[in-house]
Amino acid sequence: MHGNLARMFTMSLLLTLLFLGITAPVQAADPGVGDIADRIAPVGRVQLTGQPPLEVESEAAAQEAEAAEPMAAPRPARSDYPDIGVSSRAIVWVLAQLHLFFGALVLAVPLFVLIIELVGLFTGDERYDDMAHEFMKISLTGFSITAIFGGSLALALFMLYPDFMAYMMRVFGAQWLVYAGLFFFESFFLYTYYYGWNAFRYGNLKWVHLSLGLMLNASGLTIMVLANSWATFMMAPSGVNEVGAVVGNIWEVMKGPLWNPINLHRFIANIAFGGAVVGAYAAFKFLSSSDPEKRAHYDWMGYTSNFIAILAFLPLPFAGYWLMAEIYAYSQQMGITAMGGILAWLFILQAVLIGTILLAGNFYLWAGMSRTDGSERYKWLVKFIALILVVTFLIWITPHTLMLSASEIAQLGGTHHSILGPLGIMPAKNIAVNLMLIVTFLSFQLYRRSDKVATVRWAPVGNALMVAIYVVAIANIIFLGVYYGYFTNTVYKVGSSVAQVASTLVVIISGIIIDALMFKNAKTLPSHWGRIPDRAQYALFALPIAFTWLMGLMGYVRSSVKTHWHVYTVMKDNSPDNFIPTIAYAGNMITLVTVLFLLCLLFMFWVANLSETRQVKPVAAGESA
Amino acid sequence: MEKQMEDEMGKQMEEKRKIGIFTTLLSVVIAFAIVLVLFYGLNHLIMGMQGLPLNMDLTPAG
Repeated sequence: MHGNLARMFTMSLLLTLLFLGITAPVQAADPGVGDIADRIAPVGRVQLTGQPPLEVESEAAAQEAEAAEPMAAPRPARSDYPDIGVSSRAIVWVLAQLHLFFGALVLAVPLFVLIIELVGLFTGDERYDDMAHEFMKISLTGFSITAIFGGSLALALFMLYPDFMAYMMRVFGAQWLVYAGLFFFESFFLYTYYYGWNAFRYGNLKWVHLSLGLMLNASGLTIMVLANSWATFMMAPSGVNEVGAVVGNIWEVMKGPLWNPINLHRFIANIAFGGAVVGAYAAFKFLSSSDPEKRAHYDWMGYTSNFIAILAFLPLPFAGYWLMAEIYAYSQQMGITAMGGILAWLFILQAVLIGTILLAGNFYLWAGMSRTDGSERYKWLVKFIALILVVTFLIWITPHTLMLSASEIAQLGGTHHSILGPLGIMPAKNIAVNLMLIVTFLSFQLYRRSDKVATVRWAPVGNALMVAIYVVAIANIIFLGVYYGYFTNTVYKVGSSVAQVASTLVVIISGIIIDALMFKNAKTLPSHWGRIPDRAQYALFALPIAFTWLMGLMGYVRSSVKTHWHVYTVMKDNSPDNFIPTIAYAGNMITLVTVLFLLCLLFMFWVANLSETRQVKPVAAGESA
Repeated sequence: MEKQMEDEMGKQMEEKRKIGIFTTLLSVVIAFAIVLVLFYGLNHLIMGMQGLPLNMDLTPAG
């Protein structure tokens, strides 16, 4: 199944690359060493009087032999790393993370903006079009900020890690120029898409506009997958031999074993992240407005953002699972470093953050049910959903081993608590995660149903089927986790987690299909946009904060699994920072970048707001009003 | 006469309600049976695809 998915994904990426015509420049920009040698005569090849003639033939042959010998990765000494008095890693860490945060945002927003614009076109409801335009307006400043941090990051890397960057330049060659060239495409499509919104609004021109949006997304996604190939090359190098010498072509270098899992994971995560960020903007506007019409608009905008964030978030753990499975398949040692060593503690923090996201997302949906009177039919279920969420959240954050003093270990009889110990391992976590996702989908489904009354005759049968799917899926997930997780061997334990994921997906997919059929031509009850408690907006603030922290945290884990290697197993990191820092240090760094990002985000919101503000012309003294 | 008609209607309503409960109960039982079979098959399919065959009682066959 993974293989097919990987092949399908690879094919789609290939098509995107071909579509943009970037394969030709890659080949054109690499004329070959031999051509240059033929055109440029070697300097200093002159025969001195009284000296024997130079053996041109043998020298050329030696050069040829040298050229044929691939160059190994450099082995820099500690002194080869510039010391500027501040930790180079800390500088690169902050810049890279900020660049990634903004990059994620500006890649994601045009994706769902295009879909919202399409919805507006097909439904004929101009509100969708206006909302999509407003989403783009918010993210516009983000493009400049992304470029600023990207440029700063590149300069910092070249200055602080010159040998490493020289090696990366050599390995990826002309791909760097393709990457730079794509920014021209992206900028062109971005500005024509945004500024042409009202100029290409109706009729055939609307399709021109949608095509611009499509091309903007194609450029953005290609930029993302190219940049991903550098990160995955550093983790799991391909196209090079055991000493790091390039032996394959650029495609072989790019398509390492972790490339597609990272591509998929970042693609989905970016959408969830982008949805959460624009949701915070809507919440900010909702709270700061007293005009009922504006509040209704921003309530609807906040709901749509939350819808995007949670919907994208639901399959995200599965993409993450695939990535970790591929990491284990590539190097078991790397997998254990991530999930069994010091970094394993960060997965507990990850659970806390994901739990926060799910609790906030669910709370927002429950609060949003007050928009319609029809929600009274389902409100009794909320307390049970909340109970399941809290219990599974507590299971997920239970660590396997505890940080204990010697006397506490003696008292406990070991580092594993007799009850909490079994809850600290993956089978328990898998049950918890899947149940959290299922009940979140249930909240979502109930919310969607709350303003509708099914009119089809088979509605009772549809409901019975839906209830059966929920109950059996939950029972199956618990059975798979408990039986194969604790009573069979490891291979079956790991294998059963795939069946658990499939059970969750069955619930989500069948829920969407059944509801789509059952509520076709349903009676719609009135929804009162703007009728939502103010406290629900704080859930929309919690989402981007938790998402940002989570991305910083897991990005750090992904990068740290390389331990003391710049490029795993082929180029050692010999800098003063070539160690995994303490959890406290990492936590502080991640918090710092999160706070910096949020400050930049406030600036972005302020700028977006500024464009709507018009100063009243001052009245000169003596002039009558 | 009127009372007889009312009784008759009451009986019919009661009959309908019983049929309604029976139909709902039957729908639920059939739905659960179908879904159970589907998930049972799903477990075999997913585990089998990974080279981890199961016995009929879902114990590992490997």
